[in-house]
Amino acid sequence: MDAWLLAFIAIRGGRPWLQATYAACTLAYVALGAAFVGTNERVLAALRDDVALGIVLLAHALTAILVLGLIHGETLPRRRSVAFLLVPVPLLAYLAPIEGWTAATAYEGNVLGGFLVLCLGVALAEAIYARYTSRLLAPHSFWLAVGVVALIVAGPVYAYELEFLGEASLAGANLASPIALACFALVAVQADPFKIAPRPAKGGTKAGTLPASDAIVFEENRPKYALRTAHEESSSGRTTLILGRHAPSMAAGGAGFAGLLPGRHASLRALTTASEFLATSRGGLVVVEDLADLSALSEWPPTIEAVVRLRHVARDTGSTVVFSTSRLTDAERRALRDLRLPWWSLPDPAREIEAILAQSFGDGAARLLASFSRAHGLRPEELTTEHVPALEDFLTRALAELSGVVAGTAGHGLRTQLEAAASGLRSFAAQSAEDVARGKWPSRISSGAHPDLLVTAAEYWKGKEMEELFAAADTVGEREPLFERARAVFVEQLGDAGESLLRTQLTHLGKKPEDLDRSDLVQIADRASIDLESLAAIVDIPQEKARIQKQIDSIRERLELIVEEEQ
Amino acid sequence: MDARLRTFLVRSGFLFLISLVLVAGFWYHREFYQIGFTNLLIIGGFVTFLVIWAARLALSGELPRGRPRGELTFSIEEGDRLLRAVARVVVRPSEGTTVPGVGHVVRARYDTGPEFARLFIEDARRAFLADLTDADARQAGYRTAAELRETGAARWRWRPSDTVTVLRVRAMGAAS
Repeated sequence: MDAWLLAFIAIRGGRPWLQATYAACTLAYVALGAAFVGTNERVLAALRDDVALGIVLLAHALTAILVLGLIHGETLPRRRSVAFLLVPVPLLAYLAPIEGWTAATAYEGNVLGGFLVLCLGVALAEAIYARYTSRLLAPHSFWLAVGVVALIVAGPVYAYELEFLGEASLAGANLASPIALACFALVAVQADPFKIAPRPAKGGTKAGTLPASDAIVFEENRPKYALRTAHEESSSGRTTLILGRHAPSMAAGGAGFAGLLPGRHASLRALTTASEFLATSRGGLVVVEDLADLSALSEWPPTIEAVVRLRHVARDTGSTVVFSTSRLTDAERRALRDLRLPWWSLPDPAREIEAILAQSFGDGAARLLASFSRAHGLRPEELTTEHVPALEDFLTRALAELSGVVAGTAGHGLRTQLEAAASGLRSFAAQSAEDVARGKWPSRISSGAHPDLLVTAAEYWKGKEMEELFAAADTVGEREPLFERARAVFVEQLGDAGESLLRTQLTHLGKKPEDLDRSDLVQIADRASIDLESLAAIVDIPQEKARIQKQIDSIRERLELIVEEEQ
Repeated sequence: MDARLRTFLVRSGFLFLISLVLVAGFWYHREFYQIGFTNLLIIGGFVTFLVIWAARLALSGELPRGRPRGELTFSIEEGDRLLRAVARVVVRPSEGTTVPGVGHVVRARYDTGPEFARLFIEDARRAFLADLTDADARQAGYRTAAELRETGAARWRWRPSDTVTVLRVRAMGAAS
């Protein structure tokens, strides 16, 4: 039974140190049980008493270390508990022959018995303490307590009963070890980290731009800056993990992704995932994108406790943890703010982009953005700073459309205005989350006028000719070559590989990009779905499979949207 | 066979097995209990107490899922969709709604008061109302996301920018 549990944990576990502790603990109980049964059945020779006693000592110390590790996380078995609980083992083993201690009389009232009871007592006390003080660990500590109580009943208590009845001692074997190990295995599995894909490369991580050794809250409506920061830090060589419900549409420059799976222990699993990641990638970055979903899955009290514990992990490992407040309720935001973590209030890039355009084009900024979004099959709230280059290009083409209508001074004025807007967009897009958090948001700059200009285009054109620009933008949107619009969709979802995939589909259709029409787009959507689904079919990692499926769905939806608009 | 009768028989059978194990345990340890009436009274009494406690929970339907936590109210149409398994998803405003986490059971009541089922929460997520898709709406028993938004707007006065909690649930049968 113990061996089966050991095999199960070896296969299912995602925490090497905890698995090693579990394995050592299980092997100790297996050895004691096998020795007892083997000796009684005359299959094995009697174990040397000092060896048996050493294994008894080891089993008890490892039980306590395992329970502490299951409660306090991945890093604990490597540090304090090892020192406090393993150091006395060789000392007591050395003293055993001198003092006449044996495995059969291990629980007697002496130093040896005291140590064994202390080990079980520490484990039980920690489990009970966690049960009553932690909403995050309460369900697990119940099973840990059950396991330890079983060991106590079948250990010291049963030894007392056997001694009272004058029966032979179990010589260190514990009949309840399968029950206890099953309880510990249950907790280990329930708190098992989520799978990370792709696994970050082992080795050192480079320092990023975010402050280390702390947790930072990104207050934003949608986790746009949180993800962008993950991309930037990852691209600069910092080991990065994104914890979210769905994989970001585009691979985040080498950042690992761990998908939250539905389950009541999601908060604890998120904690163990981040802890295990930061224990192996000290100085790394973890971005918790979907704190709100953790709250929905596990409720808020365990989730906020996980936040507190993650902050300690960040401090202990010199790492950074970023939490996004997206979709949290007001009460949850208040509770998070009460933790007094560094708090970065961040704007919605879509709103700021509109504000920058409004400085040049007045109320028509919203129309311009709507035209751009329509042309790229985007919803306005999906706009991020990553779309700024495409937006600049779009505005330039809209102005070019006007070249036949406006010329001379008027054209020059409009061009100047456009350049001012483009410059504003570029400088805004270049700002990091930390820069933006300082509060110099375009939407907060008063007057709506660009400071470098005496008059805005809206004022210059007195509203009439400006209509020409907006109409031109609509026309650009309508005339945006289908290939460009499809390319934008593929590249956004799949990166540079997306364009290759699109061109491959065109080759299959025997068409040139400029010849693409609506019916082709439908075919491309179908064919690309089949190709990507066959790719997803050979991927074993569920999160990657889900990410590819999401990309397929998104590409199909966006292409269908473009086709609908063309009708 | 009626589902509730079957559940009752399975639970009772399980408890009977536990009772047999309990008696076997007393028999196996009979020599130990010969040391006195007090031992038998305390240890045997405690174990028997646990069994009676477990029986109470099992027969009240709270094992193995636990006691229902919280409740959700539904219109007659919504409730019927859930009972007929036409709908598997429930959408509620995140603000002001307390919903237990995944793996818990909630009472489902008609908005007229009576409890009509207990719902086991299989999955939960938060989303902006504007982000709900037609597929989400169909799982919730509506034709389109627009219809879902309109229905909810009348009831909760929600706006597209509001956050909603999307629960995937499984009806566990009508309440007794």
